[in-house]
Amino acid sequence: MMGAGGQSIIVLSQGTKRESGHHVQIGNITACKTIADVIRTSLGPRAMLKMLMDPMGGIVMTNDGNAILREITVKHPAAKSMIDIARTQDEETGDGTTSVIVLAGEVMSQAQQFLEQKIHPTIIIQAYRNALEDAIKLAEEKYSRVIDVNNDEEIKTVVRSCLGTKMISKWMDLAVDIALNAVKTIRVDKGGVNEIDIKRYCRIEKIPGGTIEDCKVIKGVVLNKDVTHAKMRRRIENPRVVLLDCNLEYKKGESQTSLEIVREEDISKILEQEEIAIRKQCDEIIAVKPDIVFTEKGISDLAQHFLLKAGITALRRCKKTDNNRLARVTGARIVNDTCDLREDDVGTTAELFEITKIGDEYYTYVTSSKTTAVTVCLRGPSKDVINEVERNLQDALHVVRNVLLNPRLVPGGGALEMALAHALVEKGKSIEGVRQWPYKAVARALEVIPRTLVQNCGGSTIRQLTALRAKHAQSNDNWTWGIDGCSGKLVDMKELGIWDPLSVRLQVLKTAVETSVMLLRIDDIVSGTKKSGGGDGPVKEMPM
Amino acid sequence: MAGAAESILALTGKRTTGQSIRSQNVTAAVAIANIVKSSLGPVGLDKMLVDDVGDVIITNDGATILKQLEVEHPAGKVLVELAQLQDEEVGDGTTSVVIVAAELLKLADELVKNKLHPTTVINGYRLACKESVKYLNENLSFPVEELGRQSLVNAAKTSMSSKIIGPDSDFFSEMVVEATELVKVTDSATGKITYPIKAINVLKAHGKSARESMLIKGYALNCTVACQGMPLHIKDAKIACLDFSLQKAKMHLGISVVVEDPAKLEAIRREEFDIVKRRIEKILAAGANVILTSGGIDDLCLKMFTEAGAMAVRRCKKADLKRIAKATGATLTCSLANLEGEETFEASQLGHADEVAQERISDDELILIRGPKSRTASSIILRGANDTMLDEMERSVHDSLCVVRRVLESGRLVAGGGAVEAALNVYLEAFATTLSSREQLAVAEFAQALLVIPKTLSSNAARDATDLVAKLRAFHHKAQQNNKLAHLKWAGLDLENGEVRDNKECGVLEPAMSKVKSIKFATEAAITILRIDDLIKLDKEEPRGGDECGM
Repeated sequence: MMGAGGQSIIVLSQGTKRESGHHVQIGNITACKTIADVIRTSLGPRAMLKMLMDPMGGIVMTNDGNAILREITVKHPAAKSMIDIARTQDEETGDGTTSVIVLAGEVMSQAQQFLEQKIHPTIIIQAYRNALEDAIKLAEEKYSRVIDVNNDEEIKTVVRSCLGTKMISKWMDLAVDIALNAVKTIRVDKGGVNEIDIKRYCRIEKIPGGTIEDCKVIKGVVLNKDVTHAKMRRRIENPRVVLLDCNLEYKKGESQTSLEIVREEDISKILEQEEIAIRKQCDEIIAVKPDIVFTEKGISDLAQHFLLKAGITALRRCKKTDNNRLARVTGARIVNDTCDLREDDVGTTAELFEITKIGDEYYTYVTSSKTTAVTVCLRGPSKDVINEVERNLQDALHVVRNVLLNPRLVPGGGALEMALAHALVEKGKSIEGVRQWPYKAVARALEVIPRTLVQNCGGSTIRQLTALRAKHAQSNDNWTWGIDGCSGKLVDMKELGIWDPLSVRLQVLKTAVETSVMLLRIDDIVSGTKKSGGGDGPVKEMPM
Repeated sequence: MAGAAESILALTGKRTTGQSIRSQNVTAAVAIANIVKSSLGPVGLDKMLVDDVGDVIITNDGATILKQLEVEHPAGKVLVELAQLQDEEVGDGTTSVVIVAAELLKLADELVKNKLHPTTVINGYRLACKESVKYLNENLSFPVEELGRQSLVNAAKTSMSSKIIGPDSDFFSEMVVEATELVKVTDSATGKITYPIKAINVLKAHGKSARESMLIKGYALNCTVACQGMPLHIKDAKIACLDFSLQKAKMHLGISVVVEDPAKLEAIRREEFDIVKRRIEKILAAGANVILTSGGIDDLCLKMFTEAGAMAVRRCKKADLKRIAKATGATLTCSLANLEGEETFEASQLGHADEVAQERISDDELILIRGPKSRTASSIILRGANDTMLDEMERSVHDSLCVVRRVLESGRLVAGGGAVEAALNVYLEAFATTLSSREQLAVAEFAQALLVIPKTLSSNAARDATDLVAKLRAFHHKAQQNNKLAHLKWAGLDLENGEVRDNKECGVLEPAMSKVKSIKFATEAAITILRIDDLIKLDKEEPRGGDECGM
């Protein structure tokens, strides 16, 4: 930015760095490839875990793509958007986070050759878009099949193939049962629409100690709480439950009220007043004859005493979310003022209330066989292991949900990608012009999934991939052939029984291609710009 | 102020005058234009902007790019403001206005160097601007009715062709046009039709792909119901929009209540509860089954709503509530008090809608108000791979919405792809020769400057700019010379194939208003900078005063 007269004219602030042109495009591609390389080894059944250490010294052990990328800090802006897509994938489908990154990295790197050949990015983008559309159509119409959601065995095979890549695979049957049971329990039919809310109604309680075999699904709620008073009953069958979210103690009003006491006897009057207030609250509770009272707030000693005398078990300081779940289990309505308490607010559908001691802590179980809220109780040797088990289970739960909501399956083990790649190459031949090459490049990029699978189990990449390609070319009926991730051999996925939900694989394709489209459009990076909306007056340069 | 200015003035600083400041300004303007140049047109590319914290913005929108850049040069700032102005006024064409303004400056500078006085140049530019606007309105624009609804779709498509949603422009343009048509408002008094595009709520949710973005006929609200026990689906909804909290009554300003009798303390406490309870009872008694409030709702009130089978939503944005109130015919109630000092809630204050439902999208939940009674509303839910992409999609959709609105309101279109600029160039050159004064030169340069748009378009597409622009001008020359060939005036560039074609036929259209405004704004900005012949930059004031009292 030199002035005409030779003297330099500063247009932009000096802190701004600007890169543009070809250099930026190559830089973006490299960044994406690097990110993809980080987690490439976590794909497939022979995946390895990564151990991540955060600055505080905490450890995360995982092979979940999203969990790994969440922990690492990157500087390159393009790499950041790569990391974002793992999160999107996780939010949308809960599974396939590793594949999406690996695929996006590959789609990007395929574009490099075209950029070097000076093909305009917009042409590459158009071709990529077309390829994506065709791939989605093919996957939906040709390379997927519908299963019967009421057939547990079929769903189990899907979950099994999802968990095959995870640490929990050694306890496969157990995990599959847990996931299936949990999701089936929380499924609610609302006017023809299946509602499966994992976030709210399926809680995972992690209790270190014991072995992984001890993990189980509890139909009901588990709370890490003990009764407030040691003498209260710890086991009640068919309890009547009252849920409160108010204090059972004397509390001042919202407005500032101050009480000026002139006479001595007023003091005792005030104390009495407080006692009466609590007494009244307790009486109102006792009037509906509950066996258990849960409240989100505190319970004073005095209230405990009254409740104990009436033979009522009380638990205090439950979380709001727990209370909501309890409402689902017991059929009770959350009441926030004891004077509003009525007979129909009392929950009676719970079958058993029990407090047991696990390890060093007391756990409250409220269970019912008809409930629509579950708690998955995880046990394991250490916190890190349990955390990883939890992540695996989350994936499994989401897979079950996806299958129940959209019961279309596609073959796993890279078979779908290979079938799509083959179909796209065939279709690409009929495309006119330069666009043909980037179109076919998407097909080549898709092969990265089977290739990485072979690589990760130490097979011969070129030989197996060529063989697989040949298999798919032989006949259209071979679309289920893929790679057995354990042995690196070619297998028919029908025999091996590895099926993924269609929604997960489609999301992988969509996210990967759309991200690369966005990144390829960039030809200029300006860093050090001001924060949007932030004032940049001279105020910050004030001395002292 | 001449001579020893430094000593006479109390402040110290630098002074630049005459030709050197003019060329400095021009250089700065050209530098700014160069930054945004490559994002013009259907084959323009995006910029990635990274701020100090490391947040990324990816955009193609000229105004957004310039807003993010920290431009220091004063003349540069004028151009940045110019882009902002265009963005506010028209919403689209921000890149082109900057490029044209810079080109005008560059050519003016040449003239001034040849000893033409700046005021002459300015006069010439003014004249040329006026002429071109006149010619554009009379000859180059055509009414929307000529092509019907398709022209709206095409205009939207043109505006998004350069953006990230370009490849899906068929899909999005339909959506944008439909959304705009849904928010049509006819002023009952004047009969004037307006399209308040602000009423279109654009929400973002990541996941799925861009193609799965949705248009919702109704209003989407980014909130969830206050409590799980509430129904998630209400048919034939009666909506109450409140602008106050349903919380325990609280005295303001720390007023303390002094009580003598201890028994009254409990009564105060009860009363606090009861005030809000009475309010809710009144609202429910009026028949409301959906309650939206901008404030909070105490947990203790939730049960009342749950029991009544009503849906209560807390902490809605006030802007959202206002729009919902308009759409459903509700009154946004600030307080229940009426003139008699009593608290009442009338059924007439309620709004109506066919259906209110909470639906899950991605990991989020949204409240959708479908089929509002008094006015149609629309919301667009964008889906995409990640936040940066969604942000850019939102900007692009907003630009297109603006364009559609302009087309609908002004009702006139022009052909895009450099057609207007080339036609004006040919016309102005002919016009210049009719002038016998010095302004002739300036008008000719103005004509030359307009050509920068087709030139940039073709060079962005990696085409031979000189060749294409020459062809384009030839077409327009024929159109203006020969009445029989008048249809050639729609000739514009086809950048994908590098040819000249009839852009009216191919559906590359822009609102006439946007073109007129951008020519006007660019001229004004160029004139503003051109008038400068002196720059005094003061040094920063020594923080002397602060030192004395601070220590």
